[in-house]
Formats: sequence, structure tokens, C-alpha cells
Amino acid sequence: MVIQVENLSKIYRINQKTPGLGGALKSLFRPQYLDKVAVDGISFEVGQGEIVGYIGVNGAGKSTTIKMLTGILAPTTGSVRVLGRDPHQERVANAREIGAVFGQRTQLWWDLALIESLNMIGKLYDLPPAHYRDQLARFTEMLDLGEILHIPIRNMSLGQKMRAELAATLIHDPKVVYLDEPTIGLDLMVKEKIRAFIKQENRERGITVVLTTHDLGDIEELCQRVIMIDMGKVIYDGALQTIRDRFGKYRTITLELSAMLGTGDLDLLDDTEIEAIDGHKWRIRFDRTRTSASKVAAHVMNQVDVNDFSLTEPDLTGIVKQIYQGALNDIKVSTGELAQVTV
Amino acid sequence: MTHYLSLYGLFLRQRFKILMEYRMNFLIGATSTIILQGASLLTITVVMSQIPHLNGWTLEAIFLIYGLITLAKSINHMFADNLWTIGGQYIRTGMFDRFLVRPVDPLFHLLADRFCHDGIGNFLVGSALVAYAWHALAIPLTVFNLIYLIVMVISGGLIFIALNLITAVSAFWVIESVPVTRAIFDNHLFAQYPLTIYPQAIGILLTWVIPYGFASFYPASYLLGQEVGLLAFLSPIVAIVLLSLSYRFWRFGLRHYAGTGS
Repeated sequence: MVIQVENLSKIYRINQKTPGLGGALKSLFRPQYLDKVAVDGISFEVGQGEIVGYIGVNGAGKSTTIKMLTGILAPTTGSVRVLGRDPHQERVANAREIGAVFGQRTQLWWDLALIESLNMIGKLYDLPPAHYRDQLARFTEMLDLGEILHIPIRNMSLGQKMRAELAATLIHDPKVVYLDEPTIGLDLMVKEKIRAFIKQENRERGITVVLTTHDLGDIEELCQRVIMIDMGKVIYDGALQTIRDRFGKYRTITLELSAMLGTGDLDLLDDTEIEAIDGHKWRIRFDRTRTSASKVAAHVMNQVDVNDFSLTEPDLTGIVKQIYQGALNDIKVSTGELAQVTV
Repeated sequence: MTHYLSLYGLFLRQRFKILMEYRMNFLIGATSTIILQGASLLTITVVMSQIPHLNGWTLEAIFLIYGLITLAKSINHMFADNLWTIGGQYIRTGMFDRFLVRPVDPLFHLLADRFCHDGIGNFLVGSALVAYAWHALAIPLTVFNLIYLIVMVISGGLIFIALNLITAVSAFWVIESVPVTRAIFDNHLFAQYPLTIYPQAIGILLTWVIPYGFASFYPASYLLGQEVGLLAFLSPIVAIVLLSLSYRFWRFGLRHYAGTGS
């Protein structure tokens, strides 16, 4: 196993401040602390060559986990092992083997041309010059760096910056790479290029990738496995396919009726549920494993004229939304079941 | 060690490349300190023109003390200025996290990240003052005295750096460490003058608690042939002890570092 996380928790102590000068003085002399549990006893393992999507809403504990995996933060309790090392205790040794992209925070020198920044990083990691040149040539080709090698980072577009960032992160041939929102704010073309690059590095060099993202396209393109975290706890760990099957069994049909009707005026089949009514438009969710779009539509058409209808395919955005809203309790119960399916 | 030295050289070269891109900025920064120092030197000269001695110290002797501490301060200013900005520029922005995922000592990375050219002005002013006072006071120009001068200036610089490091560690808890650093740093202003002009408590404070006196008064006294005993040679030891204490405290702070949560 490349990454082993066992019962890992991180608790931040936050000094509670009451407003006003009096409150500031009070918190100076008699600090009131509030313990905020950012990560709450999580465990998982990641094998060599896996690309794992680590997803959750803002504040779920993603960044804190990544900071413990990279060795930036010490765990409060529990343990982390990356390639057999404790990343916080053996920070320098760990740093040689990992790479990290932190969203839009650049690790490049703002005022230096990209090639100068990369040279600096090559020296920081003490790379043999020949190896460095090989890597640089490879990335220049794969990430199309030729045109931007001599431009300072401050003059680059977002997409150019992210390509530069990836080169800087992978130039020392890390075995494990943490990518925090690597495609945020980028246009589709650049996204595609970056995903293709990550895929290729994974396939050809066997790098292990932990990816946090809000972009479900990233996950669908790159990850076979997702770990979902909410309020500091792992709520799902398993194959992307399983979660898609389980939550993707619902589809939504939108029917435009010829008349305005109230909720009680229309008889609906079992295994269906009204999602929303917007004037003439009824959005009905149904379980596609138990019934079908044509049956649901036909049943409605028998009662009222339908002008138009459309069907929404399940996508991960909708699935994740479902899990976050309400369906959370549902999935908590079924985590065991899902885990059994995938293990 | 050689790795770190060559890395520092590289950082320095890149830093100058950037500075040369902003030439006006560079010139203003490097000369502004000269103007600032010029103003306070003018004040001293005016005051001393009214009184021939300050507790037995002539204008030239005070220039020697002032020059020595300015040289020591310039070392801190040039090579360790980021100890002032660690909170606002590095911890708050998350830049410090970057240092922690690189295979070098984060303190080295922090200091190497920005050579501060503003310190060059201080260095020039300090050198000029010491050279002038040396000549005016007819201090013998021996090899020993020159080596003594260099060792004392470097020790003084390290004392400045160590004290700033101790106070900068507070950034790991409160993020903005400038007020804490300033509260200690400003005590060096006392050490721009002979410690004998102050009440004894201040002399003790600047010798044994916040030992800026070792960056100016004691070496100057020795060079002027005044009896200060062992204190004339204690600066390097004080510097080493203080540095190792401050580095330990830095390591302690680093273990408690919790980032900014984003």
C-alpha cells in the first residue's frame, strides 16, 4: 500500500473571540477554546498506481486530510503512512517522493520565467542534470510548454499557469501526487489536456494520485474509485461505478401538461415522486429499475394531454447533490453494503 | 551544507534578476535606508556639537558604536528580513505550506526566498561610519583588529537574527508576528549609544536579556581600549547560544503549526 490512513483525526483549537474591545481583552487573558473536529477518525488505503477521487463539500475535511498526507500538519490522533513513512516526522524524506498542487496557489516564482522557476525546483530537489533535462523535454512536449517557457508566471493565463504548475509538481518524478482542484476555473480544452496528462503519467510511470475536485468531469474521466468525506468522516469509499449504479437508478422526466393541475389532481405510479411543479411543467423522479419512462409518461397521458416531455440522464453532479441533501442518512446505512460489494 | 550554499547562491542570483527588472524599486529601496540613517546621524551630530562628551564618549566614539550596530543590523536586514513577513506574506497566504512539501529546511527556504536589498544601504552607512571612526580615533589597523571586527559584526548580525527568529515563531500561533518582533527589536535603539549613559537596569537588560549590547557597545569599548573584561570576546558565544535556542523554539513552533485552514 502506498498510503495507509488509520483512525486519523485532526482537531483544531480555536480561540473563541467575543466582539468588541472588552471581548478581545477577555480572550487575551482568559481564552475560551473551542475544539473543531476537522477530520474525525478516518481510515483508508490507497494502492500503487490508483487514482482516487477525494470528494466532499467545502469544510468537509478534504484539505486538512491532504495536509496531513503531505506532512504539512501533524495528526491529532491516528496515523498516516506514505510509502512506509510518517510524512510529518520524516517530512524531508517524504517530500522527495511526493508532489502537490494546491488549487490556484502557485509554487512558481511570480516574476521569473517558467524555465527559471523549473531550474530552481530541479536544484531544490537535487535532480541529476541529465534526468532533469529528460523530464523537461518530456513535459515540454506533453503539456505544450514550448510557447510559455520564457514567460514570467505573472503574465500567464490561468490555463498556462496550471500547465506550468503541473510540470513543476512532477518534474522530480514523485511517486505520489496530490492534486487539489487542478482544473478549477479552466476551460474545457485545457481541462482535457490536463486530464490526459495525469492519465498518461499514471499509466506510464505508475504514479499514485489523490485528487480533490468539485469537477465531476475530472472524477468520471480519471478515477475508478472515490472516497467521499462529510463532516470529517468517510461516508463512502468504493468504486465510482457502484455509486453511479446506486444513485443513478433514479431518473427525472419532465412533462409539460396542457392544463394547470394541483398535486392531488394527478394520479402517479408507485416508485415515482414529484420533484417539482413549475406551472405546466411537472418534474417527476422515478426508479428506472422498477419502472420506465414510457410507463410513467403513458400513465400521465391517460389522464391529461401532454404537450412535451424530456428525460434527464443521471450524472454525478445530481448524484452528489442527492447524497449531500438528505440521502446522506440513507447512504450511511448502506456504506457497509456498498463496501461489501466493492471489496 | 554545500547543497544549501549552492542553493542560496541560486536563490540570490534569481532574486537579483527580479530586482533588476524593477530597477527603480531597487534603487529607491537601497538608498532609502541611507537617507533614513543620514537623518539620525545628523541628529547625533547636532546634539554632540552642543556637548563635547556624552558621559566621556566623543562624537567619533559614538559613531563607532552606531556604525557597528548598523552593520550588524544590515546583516539581519539583508539575509533574514523574511522573519518580519512570515505571518502576513507566507503563513496567511498558504505559501508556507509550499515550503513544507519541499525537501529542504523550511527556515532556510523562508530566508533564502527573499534577499532584502534595502539592507545594502544600512551596510554601506555602517561601513562608512566604522571606517571614519576607526581613522578618527586612530585605532591600530592590525590583522587581529580586523579579524576581531569581522567576527564581532557577524556575531552581532546573528544576535539580531536569533532575536527576530524567536519572536517570529509567534506567527505559528497568532499569524501576524510583527508587533511582537518590533517590541523586542526596537530595544536595539538603546544599543546605538554607550550603555554607560543609561540606568544600570537597561545596561543589564541589553547585556543579558536582549543582548544587543554585544553587537555594538562591548566590541567598540574593546577597540577603544576600555576595560570591559571578558565581555569584549563574548559576542560569538552569545550569538551561538541564542541561535541554537531560537532554532529549537522554531522547531517547537513548527510542530504546533496548524496552517490557515483553507
